[in-house]
This record gives sequence, structure tokens and C-alpha cells, in this order.
Amino acid sequence: MIQLFHVYKAFGSRNPALIDVSLTVRKGEFAFITGPSGAGKTTLLKIISRAEKTSSGQALVNGRNLNRINERELAFLRRRIGVVFQDFKLLPRRNVFENVALALEIAGFPLSVVRKKVHQTLRYLGLANKEDCYPPQLSGGEQQRVAVARAIINNPLILLADEPTGNLDPDLTMEIMALLREIHIRGTTVVVATHSQELLRDTRRRIVTLNKGRII
Amino acid sequence: MKIAFFGYFVGQAVANISNNRLVHLIGVGTMAIAFLIFDAFILIFLNLSHWTEERGKLLTMSIYFKEEPGGVVLQNIKTELLHFPGVTIKRFISKDDAMKSLRRQLGDKAGLLDGLGENPLPASLEIMVSSDKCGDSIPYQLKTRLETNPAVDEVQYSQEWIRRFQGIMDLIKIVGVVLGGLLFLAALFIITNTIKLTIYSRKDEIEILKLVGATNRFVKIPFLIEGAIQGFLGGSVALIILFLVYTIAIARVDLRIGFASLDIIFLPTQLMLFLLLMSIIIGFVGSTISLGRFIRI
Repeated sequence: MIQLFHVYKAFGSRNPALIDVSLTVRKGEFAFITGPSGAGKTTLLKIISRAEKTSSGQALVNGRNLNRINERELAFLRRRIGVVFQDFKLLPRRNVFENVALALEIAGFPLSVVRKKVHQTLRYLGLANKEDCYPPQLSGGEQQRVAVARAIINNPLILLADEPTGNLDPDLTMEIMALLREIHIRGTTVVVATHSQELLRDTRRRIVTLNKGRII
Repeated sequence: MKIAFFGYFVGQAVANISNNRLVHLIGVGTMAIAFLIFDAFILIFLNLSHWTEERGKLLTMSIYFKEEPGGVVLQNIKTELLHFPGVTIKRFISKDDAMKSLRRQLGDKAGLLDGLGENPLPASLEIMVSSDKCGDSIPYQLKTRLETNPAVDEVQYSQEWIRRFQGIMDLIKIVGVVLGGLLFLAALFIITNTIKLTIYSRKDEIEILKLVGATNRFVKIPFLIEGAIQGFLGGSVALIILFLVYTIAIARVDLRIGFASLDIIFLPTQLMLFLLLMSIIIGFVGSTISLGRFIRI
């Protein structure tokens, strides 16, 4: 599902963020990317979602070479990739319903379908009574669930989560991780970047460790 | 684009304007100022050219007689003149009237005229010729024809005056096109930068839209509609302010110096609609230019 071949990424003259990273994540896999701050975890996820281009090397997602993809194809590919961020990245001036509906509206679904799917997803995530709330009115855990709702509403092939529990307390962390496991069970390939050793304790999932831009 | 989609984009644009009222208010205000300067220039240019054209169209012609003409001679000439289109007979000035008028003009120094034996001033007939109705060549034809009349000594008209007006008109047109073009570019520059502010304030939103799979078109269209709406609002505000200033200023001028004879006109409806359409287009184009670098995520 995700293949990286000798990927380098440098920002200006600073030390490269990724050095010779080669990685394969198979369809339906659940993988953690871990490492200390500045190890290159976020950059790696940005390469996979093509928020950043590789400086050299190749990145393939669902068989598409991200270096040779045009703007329109990239937009369509991104509709198959759900992304969850530590800072949620919700639109503060749109309510919960509108934030979640965004992904479907972009994909061009008719309004009746959008309404039905958003209601279903929000109910599934326990947010049915928060539809009309705006993000600043929600707790951190609720905001992250909204972000997850937006990420999964299109039944994505891949879910990328960058420190999804970084801003949450232990209870909410467990809640979000349980949610990600459920999404994985439904067939989505999940990649979670985290520096939290708590999350990795006792897990039998695959763990990829990065340090100073290299896989170790 | 499907109609439903267009409706969605318009809805988004309106919601964005309502959500970012302050930024849009600043944008509309800046646009209104830029358009106001441009519209005011157009109004001044229009009036100058209208006024110059009007003055250029009407010329006064004086027909001087060798002797004080008798009633029959005068009537014959008047009848002949009225065959020409656009000719209006203003007044007949007899030799005595001419002398009285000169005395009035000289005032205290009128005594100088006492030394003259016979009244040397000729009788004359003043006529108005409208080049609008009779064409540019008629005044010359008229002059040539009248001068063949044995009772007529000379015919004078302000040919040079017309030429000067024509020169002023040409200059106004050149200056108008150059200044208008510069003002248009300045307005576009100001507006582009104002729209950049609007877009910059929402760059996080653009980033999120792109990351959840929005195409450039999907991101751009609401901004373009917003730009067009801002242009429309800015253009409307500018025209309303200009109209208010025009109404108040003209009223004042009338009151103080009786300037009504200048006949200052406001922008005709068609021109206002054109300016409004241009404001919309500038808003749209300004958005297009401004969006360029923000959507490359």
C-alpha cells in the first residue's frame, strides 16, 4: 500500500529530515512510526500524503508514484487517505457537521448522501449531540474524534495519524487508540506516528523507529 | 460545473464573507476607495469632454453690414439664413446699439467717443450655428455665401476657438486614457493586495481543504466568487459615495456661484453598469492573481 525507496528529504541547508528511508507498509497493516522529537516522523507522514515532495528517492502510495502525479490525481488520491493531526486541524468557523461533511462535499457527494453519512459517522464516534457545536466549544478528545470522523468518512484506504493523542489525557488517549484499532479492523491501513512509549507498550503491532532521519 | 455545485460554492463564498466580516469589510472599504478615485476621474473626464464638446458645437457668427440695413434687406438675409440647418438668429445690433454698448463697456472713459463725428461702428447680425446639426463645413460655406451679398461687409466666426477646443478635446482624451489606465492598474494592484490579505487570513483553511482532497478548482472557486462579490460591493459603495458627493457638491455650487450653466452631469446609467461590471471583473481577476501561490500545497 505504501512503498518508500531511498527517500531523502532536506529543508534548505539544515540537516536532512529523512535520510535514505526505505519502507513498505502492506495493505491492512497497522504500523507505528516512533522516535524522538525531530526524528522525521511528521516529515515521513507528509511525504506519504504528498504534503511534501521527496528531495530524492521514490514514494508510492496505492501504486501511484507521488513524484509523477498531477494536481488532480493527487487530489483524488488524498480522498483515499485520511489524515489526523495532533492539533486536529479543524476549521474553527465551521461546526462539527460541516467539518466532517467537508471530505464528502469535496468528493462531490449529493447533499442527501452527505447528511446520511455524516450522521452515521458522528453517531458511531459518539458525537451525535455535538453536530452543531463549533470546534472551540469542544474538548480536546471531542475535537480529535471529529478529526477522526472527517478522516474516515470516505472509507479511506490509508489512515495517517500524526501524534493523534499528543494533546490528550491518558483516558482520551486510550479512547482514540481504540477507535483507530476499530478502523483498522474494518480494513483500513493505519500508520500512527508517535513519540509516546506508553502507546507502544505491550503492542504487537509493527514498530518502525526513526532517529535523526534514519530508520534504525 | 453542475448547478448544485455552483450553488454550493456561492453558499460557501457568502458564508466565508459572513464568517470573516472584518477582513472583508476592510477589503470592500479599500476597494471602494480605489474604485471611487477611478469613478471620480471618469466623472471629471466625462464632464470635461461633454462640456468641451458642447462649447465646440455652438459657435457665434457675426455678420457686419456696410450700411445700416433696411427692413427688407435684413428680412431677406434672415430668410436666407434660416434655410441652413442649425442656424439660430440671436439679435440684430444697429449702429446706435453698437455705440451704446461700447459706451457702456468704456464706462468713465466713454467721453473719448465724443470726439468721433459719425458713428464708425457697423450694424451687425449675431447668429448661433450648431455644428452638431449642420456639420463642421457649414460655417465656412455660410461665411462664403453671405459675403457675396452686397449689403454684407464681413462675416466673422471663431474658427480658431473651435480649433482650440478641438485641441483641448484631443489632449483631454489622451490624458484621460493614460491617467485612466494608470488608475486602473493602481486599483488592480491595491485590490490584489487586499484580496491577498483575505486569502492569507485563511491559509490554514486552504491547507486543510487540500489535504482532504480538494482540487485547486474546488479551493479557488469560492475565493473567486468572494472576490467578485467584494468587487460588486466595493464598486456599489464607490458609486453611491460619488453620487452623494455629486449631489451635495452641485447643490453647493448652485447656491454659491450659480454654476448651473456648466451643466455638470452624473455618470449615465449604462456607464454606471459598465463600471459596476468592471468592479466585479477586477475583484474576480484580483482573486485569481492573489490565489496563485497559496494553493500550491
